[in-house]
Amino acid sequence: MAARGHVQDPNDRRLRPIYDYLDNGNNKMAIQQADKLLKKHKDLHCAKVLKAIGLQRTGKQDEAFSLAQEVATLEPTDDNSLQALTILYREMHHPELVTKLYEAAVKKVPLSEEYHSHLFMAYARVGEYKKMQQAGMALYKIVPKNPYYFWSVMSLVMQAISAQDEKLAQTMFLPLAERMVEKMVKEEKIEAEAEVQLYFMILERLGKCVEALDVVRGPLGEKLTSELRSRENKCMMMYQRLQLWPECNALSYKLLLKNPDDWQFYLSYFDSLFHLMDKSWSQPEEGEHCVEGPVQTTVTEAVKFVVDRMEEQDKKESRPLRGPYLACLELIHRLRQRGCPDEKELGDPLELMVQFFGKFGDKPCCITDLKIYLHLLPPEQRSQFKKRLGELVPLGEAGEDGFGFPGDTKALQRHLCVCQLSRALGLQHALDTEGKLRLITELKAHYHHGLQFGKSCLKTELQFSDMYCLMAAHVYVDLWTETGDENMLWQCLGVLEEGLSFSPSNAQFKLLLLLLFCRLGAFQPVVDLYSSLDAKHVQHDTIGYLLTRYAGSLGQFAAASQSCNFSLRFFHSNQKDTSEYIIQAYKYGAFEKIPEFIAFRTRLNQSLHFAQVRTERMLLDLYTEADVTLSLEESVKAMGVCPEEDDIPWDNMRDNRDLTVLVSWDPKDRELTEEHRRLSLEEESVWLKVRSLTLRLLASLALLGHAPSPRNSDKTNENGISAKSSTLQTLLSQLDQTLETAAQITEKQTQYPFLGPPSSRLASALSSGSCHCQASLQVSSRGITSGSFLFPHADLCPSLPSSLSPLRPEMLSRCKGEVLEMKDGRLTTRPSLLETLVFFVETVCVVLWVASYSASVLRPLKSSLQKKKKKKKDSSSAMPVVLCGFQEWTGSLQGVVTQALDHVKGQEASLTALKLAALTLEEGYSQTQEECGFTRAAMDKVQSSYLGSLQELGDLLRKRADSLKSLKI
Amino acid sequence: MTTLRAFTCDDLFKFNNINLDPLTETYGIPFYLQYLAHWPEYFIVAEAPGGELMGYIMGKAEGSVAREEWHGHVTALSVAPEFRRLGLAAKLMEMLEEISERKGGFFVDLFVRVSNQVAVNMYKQLGYSVYRTVIEYYSASNGEPDEDAYDMRKALSRDTERKSIIPIPHPVRPEDIE
Repeated sequence: MAARGHVQDPNDRRLRPIYDYLDNGNNKMAIQQADKLLKKHKDLHCAKVLKAIGLQRTGKQDEAFSLAQEVATLEPTDDNSLQALTILYREMHHPELVTKLYEAAVKKVPLSEEYHSHLFMAYARVGEYKKMQQAGMALYKIVPKNPYYFWSVMSLVMQAISAQDEKLAQTMFLPLAERMVEKMVKEEKIEAEAEVQLYFMILERLGKCVEALDVVRGPLGEKLTSELRSRENKCMMMYQRLQLWPECNALSYKLLLKNPDDWQFYLSYFDSLFHLMDKSWSQPEEGEHCVEGPVQTTVTEAVKFVVDRMEEQDKKESRPLRGPYLACLELIHRLRQRGCPDEKELGDPLELMVQFFGKFGDKPCCITDLKIYLHLLPPEQRSQFKKRLGELVPLGEAGEDGFGFPGDTKALQRHLCVCQLSRALGLQHALDTEGKLRLITELKAHYHHGLQFGKSCLKTELQFSDMYCLMAAHVYVDLWTETGDENMLWQCLGVLEEGLSFSPSNAQFKLLLLLLFCRLGAFQPVVDLYSSLDAKHVQHDTIGYLLTRYAGSLGQFAAASQSCNFSLRFFHSNQKDTSEYIIQAYKYGAFEKIPEFIAFRTRLNQSLHFAQVRTERMLLDLYTEADVTLSLEESVKAMGVCPEEDDIPWDNMRDNRDLTVLVSWDPKDRELTEEHRRLSLEEESVWLKVRSLTLRLLASLALLGHAPSPRNSDKTNENGISAKSSTLQTLLSQLDQTLETAAQITEKQTQYPFLGPPSSRLASALSSGSCHCQASLQVSSRGITSGSFLFPHADLCPSLPSSLSPLRPEMLSRCKGEVLEMKDGRLTTRPSLLETLVFFVETVCVVLWVASYSASVLRPLKSSLQKKKKKKKDSSSAMPVVLCGFQEWTGSLQGVVTQALDHVKGQEASLTALKLAALTLEEGYSQTQEECGFTRAAMDKVQSSYLGSLQELGDLLRKRADSLKSLKI
Repeated sequence: MTTLRAFTCDDLFKFNNINLDPLTETYGIPFYLQYLAHWPEYFIVAEAPGGELMGYIMGKAEGSVAREEWHGHVTALSVAPEFRRLGLAAKLMEMLEEISERKGGFFVDLFVRVSNQVAVNMYKQLGYSVYRTVIEYYSASNGEPDEDAYDMRKALSRDTERKSIIPIPHPVRPEDIE
């Protein structure tokens, strides 16, 4: 905003220092300077606005706002004030106020192109499409420039896209937009490529594909030049929509002749071919087949086409392209699907794949390419296939260990590819434990041998043999999950840590280590691993789940809070950021991008991860801080949680997680499926619902506490309370329902692929008993509110301890056991104990809040009873049952918390006493000395992370124990 | 075997295999949207048959025509590790050059870390030469100056005398680049 056009104006000169201060982030000086200026020039409105910007940026929102309104009500028309106010309102997240500003400005200066254009953009920022349409036309009337006219047209398209009623879009907005463009076409006023693009977009949305094709193929289409192949792409799109298979086929054919590596056109070529065959389309006897040229309609032609393409590549001297060879496999696959015997003409898939390997086996992508077509091999051919490939891998003489090694990186890549393929064929999974262990030895030997090729690699480069190391780790994981032998896991960590030491920027090593440490319940090492991935911005949405799923559930509250913050910062900037670029898209005529940007913004706003971190962050704050520094009520108010409001888009939740970010070469039947994705989203959503309801229940509990005590209340107050109590009731019944659904989901015991999505916390939450305990607690808080206990014979007394009882004997006992243990020379972990302990601690927090609320209700009751007692001098009536009940309750609570603290202390002590150095790791056959070193380092990390978790949990419990003391009534 | 198509916002959710590379920067959303809004044709992604993203190029057209400085600029070019050694980067560069030709650019330029020998050599093979060195062009995440950049150029057909690529012997500072 420092860059300003006209410097002649003396006001500009006066304002300059303020702009400079603001630009440099020196807000205080900006405010001072503005004050100084305002003393001399009272009517320099812009100075006021600039001062307001300074105030806003120093956190004085209210002051800033009222100052801004002072100027805004004057309806300024000077450029400086208007622009400054626009900036201010945007920073205040009030873009709608900018529209008011310019509406007033154009009324006063009706012929200003600039203000009209600002008005248009202000509407665009808030998505007021109808007003945009009018503003665009108003602009065009003042200054008949094409872009303004088409802004207006685009606004109609946006009205169509956002219309709830599709009919309205199809019968009103789009036809109107079409007529507006047609008018310009008729008057031969079309100038820019963007205008043709928009015309095409309108026709396409109207389903007028024939007309759209005419535009693209006609003289207007000649303007489509920026994007490569723009006209061809658009034609293809329309042919497919119109099911014009001859044209589609002929165009694909033409494009493939030009670029035989462009995969999308093989697909459209095959699709169209089979459609034509199904329709028994026959070529016209005379003349061209269609506007795009010759059409192919028989399998024979297709086979010949593909074979020709392959021969072309074979003859080439430069590097051959993979496209034709893979197209051949694709054609076999499609013919087989159709039960067409002609596939034999293309050859045996095994031979073809061996040939492909011969040509491209030294490329890292060979596995990705062939993996798709492995199903073409019958199971009995799998071993043979592997053997044939092996013959194409030049390896040196086998040494003592029986392994021969590649002599260069190309041979290495080939050998690696055979290993990857045999894994993808399920051959590795079929091995017994002994066989798998031997495989690991082989992979590690190849890994170590291959390191020599990468001695000169930079830190930022990967080692040529890295993937052997990763695969060894995968086989270790197989063994661990199959046999439960934790030694496999420790060795796996060792091999990955070793890999990372040679290849410090290998993201796959980091990701797998991260996942394994999480599974082990050790979150501390994960923090560094994740930060070394340097994940930023949108990556927080796609892979942030790796962090946030585990941090809080393992009791690393500080780290959890930080991980949520990373993600939240990203999501919060999204709304403001995207609006600016929607505006830019209008300016540059990138009309196709406008709906895309809006969909993108929605996708981020509806992100599952966003809703999760939003909710978890608030819960974390409550669990760790509420009633420690601030009261529960103050905390809830500071967060702005409203129990009645649900801001999570349950029906439109978007799962933006990248669930295949970890490389896998697993066979198809072990890969992540669409069903897995669906189930994982379902599970996460239900868990989120439990959490969000817990949060809202806590909020409603906090606000109950805010109500005046029932004894003193008049009618209206009672109504107020009963309204709150009914919210509580609604939320409770929702929670009940959700827990029922949750139980059904956990019964399914869905198992995801190891490298796929982690299971949600749902199952462990249910088995820990914390959900039900928290629910019943909330029920009792409702009981207290209803006031029934005011009568001494009310049954609250028994209900309080009984709602607490699940916490007492069972919940804590579920946490007991050694989280890390050395037994028979082996190290075993029980990370689930940590998770359960976290749930226990969370529940203690809720119990305390309920207790604290009960105390606040009972205190006045007690004092009133005491007064009565004094008056009546009635010695016979003792304390009402409810009061003894409460005291009994808090007493027992004290007992539980003390027990829990003792347990945590005990765990800490035994963990500290555990001397891992005393553990003997088998060196030699299974692990070298170096690997043992890395395994030990990993063990140390786990031990210290467990300690860290216990310390945080212990600290929190102690804080809660302190607040228990204040519960006396 | 690659599908080459326009990069869209949805690709931002799928590009981890490319962007988890230490030399590939993941920018804030505004940066990508700015390119998509202003130069959509210059943002191209390559997709494998299995749907994996293989690599992408992101660029723009800028500079004054009058001063014969109108040119195509490569802002980012990255290929996922498993799709390297296929000539994909060269293909994407070729496309960017063709678009720049159509727009009547005089040359194409790019900045690369002096230490990134692999990339420097690749660009040289593609016909680029070092035009000048930019001192401390790259900065670390803490804001400290990190590394110098080469400004590399390749003349397009409009620059018949190849004037645009005559090297400047003295290094320049980042604030001096236009």
